[in-house]
Amino acid sequence: MISPYGKRIDQYILICQDSLEGVFSAIYDAYADKYDAQITRIQTAEDDNYRLFATYVQMQPDQEKTKKVARTILREFGEETYTDICRALASEDADKADAVYHAICSGLKMKNKSELMGNLANNDVRHVFELSRYAGREIMHMNGFLRFQELEGGVLFSKIGPRNNIITFLAPHFSDRLPLENFVIYDEIRQLFIIHPARKQWTLVTGEYLDENRILKFSEREKEYQELFTFFCQKIAIKDRINYNLQRNMLPLHYREYMIEFNIS
Amino acid sequence: MDIKLTEEMSIMEKLGILSDAAKYDVACTSSGVDRKGDGKGIGNSVAGGICHSFSADGRCISLLKILFTNECIYDCKYCINRKSNDVPRASFTPDEVCDLTMQFYRRNYIEGLFLSSGILYSPNYTMELIYQTIYKLRNEHHFQGYIHVKAIPGADPVLIQKVGMIVDRMSINLELPTAEGLRQLAPNKIRKNILGPMKQIQMGITENKNELMVYRNAPKFVPAGQSTQMIIGATPESDFQIMTIAENLYQKFDLKRVFYSAFVHVNEDKDLPALPGGPPLLREHRLYQADFLLRFYGFTTDELLSESKPNFNVLLDPKCDWALRHLDIFPVEINRADYQLLLRIPGIGVKSAQRIVRARKNGNLNFEDLKKIGVILKRALYFITCNYKMMYQTKIEEDYIVRNLLTVKEKLPLQIGDLSYSQLSMFNDSNYNGNTNQIQLFQELKAGVM
Repeated sequence: MISPYGKRIDQYILICQDSLEGVFSAIYDAYADKYDAQITRIQTAEDDNYRLFATYVQMQPDQEKTKKVARTILREFGEETYTDICRALASEDADKADAVYHAICSGLKMKNKSELMGNLANNDVRHVFELSRYAGREIMHMNGFLRFQELEGGVLFSKIGPRNNIITFLAPHFSDRLPLENFVIYDEIRQLFIIHPARKQWTLVTGEYLDENRILKFSEREKEYQELFTFFCQKIAIKDRINYNLQRNMLPLHYREYMIEFNIS
Repeated sequence: MDIKLTEEMSIMEKLGILSDAAKYDVACTSSGVDRKGDGKGIGNSVAGGICHSFSADGRCISLLKILFTNECIYDCKYCINRKSNDVPRASFTPDEVCDLTMQFYRRNYIEGLFLSSGILYSPNYTMELIYQTIYKLRNEHHFQGYIHVKAIPGADPVLIQKVGMIVDRMSINLELPTAEGLRQLAPNKIRKNILGPMKQIQMGITENKNELMVYRNAPKFVPAGQSTQMIIGATPESDFQIMTIAENLYQKFDLKRVFYSAFVHVNEDKDLPALPGGPPLLREHRLYQADFLLRFYGFTTDELLSESKPNFNVLLDPKCDWALRHLDIFPVEINRADYQLLLRIPGIGVKSAQRIVRARKNGNLNFEDLKKIGVILKRALYFITCNYKMMYQTKIEEDYIVRNLLTVKEKLPLQIGDLSYSQLSMFNDSNYNGNTNQIQLFQELKAGVM
């Protein structure tokens, strides 16, 4: 392929910030600047090795553009697709932005646009679907496997280390469940906090650092309830049916690091 | 409160005894009702249910599953809490149950409470205690999470009605599939006392639905529906009998779930069968498979089993078994067949069938696409065509397909293990005696393969 300037170009690679805002803005610009979708990729990180014959373009996140893209997705494809795209972008996959971009491109050409996510024979759509399913499963698991510990003063504190960036998907569920509690959810890997003061809205806090040893003092009865629950978990198993493989299938080991019933000393 | 205090036991000891006593109850789902918190209390409920942990036997821990008391005036032979057993006895007080539930719930250990009970003094007395506990939890602690309560057979209908208004799910255990079995193993329980309240709850739910149509904010009666449980393998019923009963329960009593519980040997009694091979887990598994076929796949019991073939095939799952007996309708063209027919193809489940129906709107699907969609091709390939071509050259013959399907090992729950014929003699299944022909056939087939 020859660019207008006579230079040979195989590919445009748009580099954007690794966030919903970053990717949506890049998609907006890709459309606005009339990039040819067939030879354009959107990436959230630069390649380790630069490709020959590829032009790299840095994209800037922009709130207005993000809103416009979000609105378009909701209007054209409906809520199901929008949720899937948001979840897919919460994953750590290197190709997520590109899959979303191309899925949207192919979706806009469809007659019945609300059926976009049903078109699983399309590779990009399937990729988005798989990423969304992966993140969605983790959200589902974390709703159950997350553990709060009570600090002195009654604040509930939870530390998580999820594989996808799902902390903002957890917040609405727990705010609805525990409206009268002060609680904090802390993503140890990405240094993110969800702060929920009693009877108020939750907020996402970034860029803070937590020194656990200094700050965390647990309440008097915390240990007692942890022991009670651990004991309950042991008692509820039926001996004739013991099956550690099944247990590991249902509750993979990497979740257990953060669950008190597996870590009690 | 007038409860026999078991001296001064610590909460830890009580929890130990009373969760130990409750663990044989299988129903531990927290599903069936979607309710947002109202911002004034604690808790909500998610329609799909949430599993909070998994115990060493691989079963999910979703609810705080405890008995209120394990004292019991009945003497059911299969039950660990029977009157004549010498086991440590304990009772909670309503406050203790509330405290445990609340503190576990706010730490996100559990999804709610599952409260059952042995029968203390009388069914009414016990039911009243349960009511008081739940009332306290709902109204003093403002708990809005999931509550599942066992209705006590023989309790006053008024009490059952009262409890039904404040819980999410109620269940009455059928215990044993037939009245005959019940008479044999649970001499104090009468079938009528089990089916009576079941009918009452069903009527309550229907009436309440009509009320809700008129008054949207009327209190809800057992919104998550009712369930029941049967013990499998303690009495000599065939799979056909059990499935017929389950089908009736779904149709006539609108049950949400019927649970099957492989009989676990906890008591020594001359009326109980000896189970040297452990609980009949494979049989339980086949029953659950068939149960799902009834509820989600549009099958009826008559299609799966009959008087002349009363038990499930040990070697093949019920759906494969059915397909092999109806080879005349196969192979099915994936791009044409309607949803109901897709569901009947081995290797295609509800999810894959839905995805196929959606995906083929955008063009014909081929085998590659089916694989991506999640169809288990190694099972499905004998029964399907894509664009009127089969995946490989295969014969549509029962023996041929059986032989090939058996070389592809069925993914059984890990506990049941591999199904190899050397282990067959270990099965203490009702299938074992009745189906020697099948085993012979299998051995011949196996010999043919090797």
